[in-house]
Amino acid sequence: MVPAIAEDKCTGCGRCLEVCPPRAITLEGGKARVEEEFCEECGFCAPACPEGAIEIPWPIYCSS
Amino acid sequence: MTPGYPHIFSPLRIGPLTAKNRVKYAATETNFNFRDGYVSDKEVAYMEAQAEGGAGIVTTQGAYPDPKGEGKGFMGQMAIYDDRFLEGLSRIAEAIHRHGALAALQIMHCGREGGVELDYCLMPSPIPQRLSYFKPPREMTKADIRRAIRDHIEAAKRAARAGFDIVEISGIVGYLISTFISRYTNHRTDEYGGDIRSRCRLMTEILSGIKEALGEKVALGIRLCGLELLEDRGGNSLEESLESFRLAEEAGADYVSVTVGWHESSQSVITRDVPMGHWLWVAKKVKEVVSVPVAMAFRLFTPQVAEEAIARGDIDLWEVCRPMIADPKLPQKAREGREEEIIPCVACNLCFIRLYYHEPIMCTVRPTLGKEGEEGSGYRGFFPAKKRKKIAVLGGGPAGMEFAAVAASRGHEVTLYERETRLGGSLLLASKVEEGDREFLRLVDHLRGECERKGVEVITGEEPTPSSLAHRGFDTVVLATGARYISPFEGPFLTPYEVMTGEMKGKEAIVVGGEGVGMALALFLVRQGVEGTLLEGGKRLGRDVNPFYLWRYLQLLKGRARILTSATPLRFEEGRLVVATPDGEEALEADLLITALRGDRGEELSKWQERFKEVLIIGDARRPRRLHNAIHEAYRKAREI
Repeated sequence: MVPAIAEDKCTGCGRCLEVCPPRAITLEGGKARVEEEFCEECGFCAPACPEGAIEIPWPIYCSS
Repeated sequence: MTPGYPHIFSPLRIGPLTAKNRVKYAATETNFNFRDGYVSDKEVAYMEAQAEGGAGIVTTQGAYPDPKGEGKGFMGQMAIYDDRFLEGLSRIAEAIHRHGALAALQIMHCGREGGVELDYCLMPSPIPQRLSYFKPPREMTKADIRRAIRDHIEAAKRAARAGFDIVEISGIVGYLISTFISRYTNHRTDEYGGDIRSRCRLMTEILSGIKEALGEKVALGIRLCGLELLEDRGGNSLEESLESFRLAEEAGADYVSVTVGWHESSQSVITRDVPMGHWLWVAKKVKEVVSVPVAMAFRLFTPQVAEEAIARGDIDLWEVCRPMIADPKLPQKAREGREEEIIPCVACNLCFIRLYYHEPIMCTVRPTLGKEGEEGSGYRGFFPAKKRKKIAVLGGGPAGMEFAAVAASRGHEVTLYERETRLGGSLLLASKVEEGDREFLRLVDHLRGECERKGVEVITGEEPTPSSLAHRGFDTVVLATGARYISPFEGPFLTPYEVMTGEMKGKEAIVVGGEGVGMALALFLVRQGVEGTLLEGGKRLGRDVNPFYLWRYLQLLKGRARILTSATPLRFEEGRLVVATPDGEEALEADLLITALRGDRGEELSKWQERFKEVLIIGDARRPRRLHNAIHEAYRKAREI
């Protein structure tokens, strides 16, 4: 499981890249993409997204 | 029989029972279980490993005792509020008994930290929550209290039916019982609030109720807080905390376990900077007021520290939590005099922080955590390699050493090359940051030892090139050469490596890059008496640093180093670094200019691929990250090769 990024909402601002501890998020063609191999499912990216484009498919309660 | 640790490996009488030794695997949440409270196979295998490792007592994770989940503090916490959980719980008791350990079940109502799937939590008084993940508090009614007592007693009866020898109650760190005991959170005016005896009433009624229901069928224990470290918000005095232990004994506890600090305390309790054995004085104080056995877990990481503590009479029972997450075989290895084989916990608290992310625990130093029941995972051996390869691993840091040891275990012929004369890589630098960071050297020793024991050929002081290795018959080359440091532009930038291994020749430093490495470097400089400025391009420092440490690092740097966020170095001009900040350009003066910006070594791949069929890249060389990423990636890839 990795966070789901809604491409239509993502503006490519890069905030999620900044907060991702294992550097699992990259920008590709101006859109954020999560590389499954690197993702540790901490959920930090979702609250960092100003567009609400990232959905965490598991419950979180610790925002960074 | 055990000359090394005669005290640890002597039996201990607890209530009606005798434990074969003084090691108790402490209750530890894992988030391995199902979200509905049922025990998972993964949890059973993990608990079995803990018993197999030789502990005299093995404690389950805390099980929540109420059907509403008010006591549930972790998504994967197991439940004990109904008979339908008996089967899973029995499996754990049986697995523990198979290896001759006493099986303890902990009942944990998380109180202030509970209600994880609800929109409130239960407390004696609605004292506001300080940490973001807490639920809004709701004051318990008398009926709520009566129900909580009944839930605990029913849970204890269920534990006995599931086959457990010991029932342990958790009353620590902000969980329900501790919130009643603490002056900070209990402002009640009924019989459950007031003086310390009244604040302990919930606890004593639970303990005596269980004693009455079960008598000598089980031993009964409780974990309480010996030192809350909540002076700043009106918590208990040491005397009051000690009194809670005395009252617990009076109410029927057959042993007590002493803990320190609440999750809200503003002082580090279990981080690396706290010296091993630091909190033993608290246990000793408790021992002076009770006559039942006293246990403690906090920062007793090595058998030596525990042996001396028992010998001195500070504690009777060595509780082990994180060091046995890192290595369940710790007791067995200590008993057999194989201490150097113990996988050392480095107190990174990755396990702990994972619980707050609602994820299964992970262990930096033991990638097999949670895979104890998985064949070929390496916990009880790996699958042998299908084809034996001759492998060159370049770089003797954590990734390189882990890869080499695992690949060699699987039958590959492995040579590990390290450019320096010593193995360790970035860990050698990390060990110099703060006082307690020397403990990283235990990990270096362990990984080096693993390489030796698995038959890895280690060559130090050599930095091979594709052509120098070309004719040595290697099938595979693994690049584990660590990150490279990137200068933001052409200029006299030093690397952390150069600064930390060389002679310090500056009075004022600028560190570019405020992630973990940059912060650590700034701390290192501050400790050397160098004044510094830390520049971070993003909005906040330490995005890759575990919050357990980030909080502390920020405090340490505050007032001692200048921190500039959203700051980008632009150019070097007349001996000054010009930086773009949100307030405009600023020219900074310094005699040490250091870059902590890290990049990968992906571009080096092709020159190796020209000469070798199979080239892998792992650890920081692949993508600069943290220690656990390096070790886990190395483990994963070495399992597959």
